[in-house]
Order: sequence, then structure tokens, then C-alpha cells
Amino acid sequence: MIQLFNVYKSFGSKNPALIDVSLTVNKGDFVFITGSSGAGKTTLLKIIFCAEKPSSGHALVNGRNLNRINDRELALLRRRIGVVFQDFKLLPRRNVFENVALALEIVGFPLSLIRKKVHQTLRYLGLANKEGYYPPQLSGGEQQRVAIARAIINNPLILLADEPTGNLDPDLTMEIMALLKEIHIRGTTVIVATHSQELLKDTRRRIVTLSKGRIV
Amino acid sequence: MKISLFRYFVRQALANILDNRLVHLVGVGTMAIAFLIFDTFVLVFVNLNHWTVEWGRPLTMSIYFKGTPEKIVLESIEKELLHFPGVTIKRFISKDDAMETLRRQLGDKAGLLDGLEENPLPASLEIILSRDKAGDPLPYQMKRKLERIESVDEVHYSEEWIERIQAIMEVIKLIGIVFGGLLFLAALFVITNTIKLTIYSRKDEIEILKLVGATNRFVKIPFLIEGSIQGFLGGSIALIILFLVYITAITRVDLRFGFASLDIIFLSPQFTLFLLLMSIIIGFIGSTVSLGRFFRI
Repeated sequence: MIQLFNVYKSFGSKNPALIDVSLTVNKGDFVFITGSSGAGKTTLLKIIFCAEKPSSGHALVNGRNLNRINDRELALLRRRIGVVFQDFKLLPRRNVFENVALALEIVGFPLSLIRKKVHQTLRYLGLANKEGYYPPQLSGGEQQRVAIARAIINNPLILLADEPTGNLDPDLTMEIMALLKEIHIRGTTVIVATHSQELLKDTRRRIVTLSKGRIV
Repeated sequence: MKISLFRYFVRQALANILDNRLVHLVGVGTMAIAFLIFDTFVLVFVNLNHWTVEWGRPLTMSIYFKGTPEKIVLESIEKELLHFPGVTIKRFISKDDAMETLRRQLGDKAGLLDGLEENPLPASLEIILSRDKAGDPLPYQMKRKLERIESVDEVHYSEEWIERIQAIMEVIKLIGIVFGGLLFLAALFVITNTIKLTIYSRKDEIEILKLVGATNRFVKIPFLIEGSIQGFLGGSIALIILFLVYITAITRVDLRFGFASLDIIFLSPQFTLFLLLMSIIIGFIGSTVSLGRFFRI
């Protein structure tokens, strides 16, 4: 599903963000990427959803070489990758329904189908009564659930979560992690980047640790 | 394009406009002023052109004689004139006829002419030339030929001053092109910056759209519609203002001078549509330019 070969990423500074990173994630895997702040976790996720291109090396996602992908192919690939961020990245001027519907509008689904799918997804995430709310009116956990709803509404092959619980208290953290596990059980490949050792405690999932841009 | 997508694009464009009301208001206002100046130039030009075409067709030519021409001379001139295409001899005005006409025109003040020892008015022959367009060389050739005749004093034709107006029109045309070009650039500059501001205000949204798999085209289209709407509004306001000024102006001219012959026309529906289309195109181009810059970043 995801293959990185000797990926090196530099932003021009002295210390590269990623050095010689090689990684394979198979279909249906649940992988934690961990490491301290600045270890390269976010850069690695950005390479996978092609927000950044490797300075050298190759990255293949769902069979596509990200070094040789055009704008249109990239857009189509991103429809198969759901992304969840620590800061949620919700549009404050759009309500919950509109934020989630965004991912379907870009595909050009008819409004009736968009309504149906959004209702279903929000119900699944326990947000059925929050459709008309705007992000600032929601709690952190609710906002993150909206972000997850937007990420999974297109039934993505891969779900990337960058510090998804970074802004949440322990109860909400467990709630979100339980949700991610459920999404994984339904067949989605999930990659979670986190620096929280609490999350990794007692987990039997695969853990990839980054330190100063290298996998250790 | 799917209807649901088109509806989405239009909705987004309108939402963008409403969210950035003030920026758009200033943008539309500035564009309306730029278009108004340009449209005014076009209107003046169209009217001057209209007058020269209307008044120059058919063309009247007056041949003034030294004294009273002999009948045989007059006949030979008439015969000569009829060789030219489209010439109709209107009438011969003798010195006495001319004086009589002048007396009639002076009305109560005709007594002033009683003091004259001899009639100073020349006899003349009026001819009409029917032509398709103003500006053909025939009248000038005729004038030169006629003025070589011994008994002919002077030849005047209505196109002489039309030619002068045409020279002025050439200048106006040149100013219009230069000025129009500058206004075009100004309108483009305004729209480019307005759209750029709205793009920056929606930077996060664009980022998220791209993240969930929106193509560049999908992100750009609402901004292109937004620019076109802005151009359309600016162009429409300019044309409405111009029309209102035109209505007011023609009423005033009629009242003050009774200028029935000074027929001021407005732009034809086709021309109006063309100007409106041009404002939309300028809006579209302006958006394209600012989007191009943004997407290069």
C-alpha cells in the first residue's frame, strides 16, 4: 500500500527532516509513527499524502510513484487518503454538515447522495445532532470527530492521523483512538503519528520510531 | 460539467463575494468608473461617426458663379456634371432668387438690405450626390475640375467640414485606443487585486480543499466566476450610469437649443452587449492572472 525507498527530505536547513527513510506499510496495517518533537513524523505523513515531495528517494502510494504524479492524479489519489490533524483543520465559517460534505462535493456527487452519506457518517461518529453547529461551537473531541468524519466519508484506503489526540484530554483521547481502531477493523490502513508514550503503552500494533529524521 | 458541481461553483462564488463584501464593493466601484470613462469615449465616437454618416449622405454641392452665368455656360456645366455617377441637378439659384431667400430669412430685418446698391449675392447651382459612404474622393475631384471653369467662382460641399470632423475622430480614436488600453490595464489591476485578497482570505479553505482531493480546476473555478461576476457588475453599473446621463443630456439639449438635427444616439443593443461581454472577459482574465500567481506559490 505504502512503500518508501531511501527517502531524504531537506528544507534547505542544516538538519534534514528525513534521512534515508525506507518503510513498507501493507494494506490493512495499523502503524504508529512515534518520536520526539522535530523527529520528522509530520514530514513523513506529508510525503505520504504528497504535501511534500522527497528531495531524493522514492515514495509509492497505492502503486503511484509520488515523484512522477501530475496535479490531477494527485487529486484523485488524495480522495483515497483521509487525513486528520492535531488542529482539526475545519472551516470555521462552515457548519458540521458542510465541513464533512466538502469531501463529497469535490467529487461532484448529487446533493441527495451527499445528504444521505453525511447523515450516515455523522450518526456513526455520534454527531447526528451537531449538523448545524459551527466548529467554534464544538468541544475539541467533537471537532476531531468532525475531522475524522470528513476523512472517512469517501471510504479511503488509507487514514493518516497526525497527533490526532494532541489537543484532547485523556477521556477524549481514548474515545478518538477507539474510533480509529474501529475504522481500521472496517478495512482501512491507518497510520497514526504521535509523540505520546501513553498511547503506545500496552499496544500490540507496529511502532515505527523516528529520531532526528532517521528510523531507529 | 455536472449540474451539482456547477451549482456548487456558483454558490461558492456568491459566498466569496458576500464574505468579502467591502473588498468587492470597492473593486466593483473602481471598475465601474474605469468602464464608464471607456464607455463614454465609445459613445462620443459612435455619435460623431453617426453624424458624419448621416449628414454626409446624400452630399450637397453648391457651385457659385462670378456674376450671372450665360445659359449656354450653365447648360454645358450641367451636361458635364451629369457625366459623374450619382449626380442630380437640384436647382439653379439666380442672384435675385438668392436675395429673395435672404430677405425671407431676415424677416422683419429685411429692410437692412434696401441700402445695398447692387446685389452682392452670387448665383449658384445646387447639385446632390448620392453615395454609399462618406469620404470617397469624387466630390473633391469634381470641385477641382469645376473651379477650373472660367465663370465658376467657388465650389463648396457639405463634406468639407465632415472631413474636418473625421480628422478629429481619428484623434479621438487614437486617444480612445491609448486611454482604453490604460483603463483596460487599470480594470485588470483592480480585479486582480480584489481576487488576490479573496484568495488570501480563503487560503485555509483552499488548503483543505486540496487536501481532500480537489483538483486545481475545482479550486479555481469559483474564483473565475467571482471575477466574471465582478466584471459584469462593474460593466453593468457603468452602462446604466451612462444611459441615465445620456437620457438627461438629450433632454437638456432639446430644451436649450431645440437641436432636432443634433440627433444624439445611444449605443446599439449589440454594442452594449459587446461592452458588457468585454467587462466579463476582463473580470475573467483578472481572476486568471491572480490565480496563476497564487498557484505558482
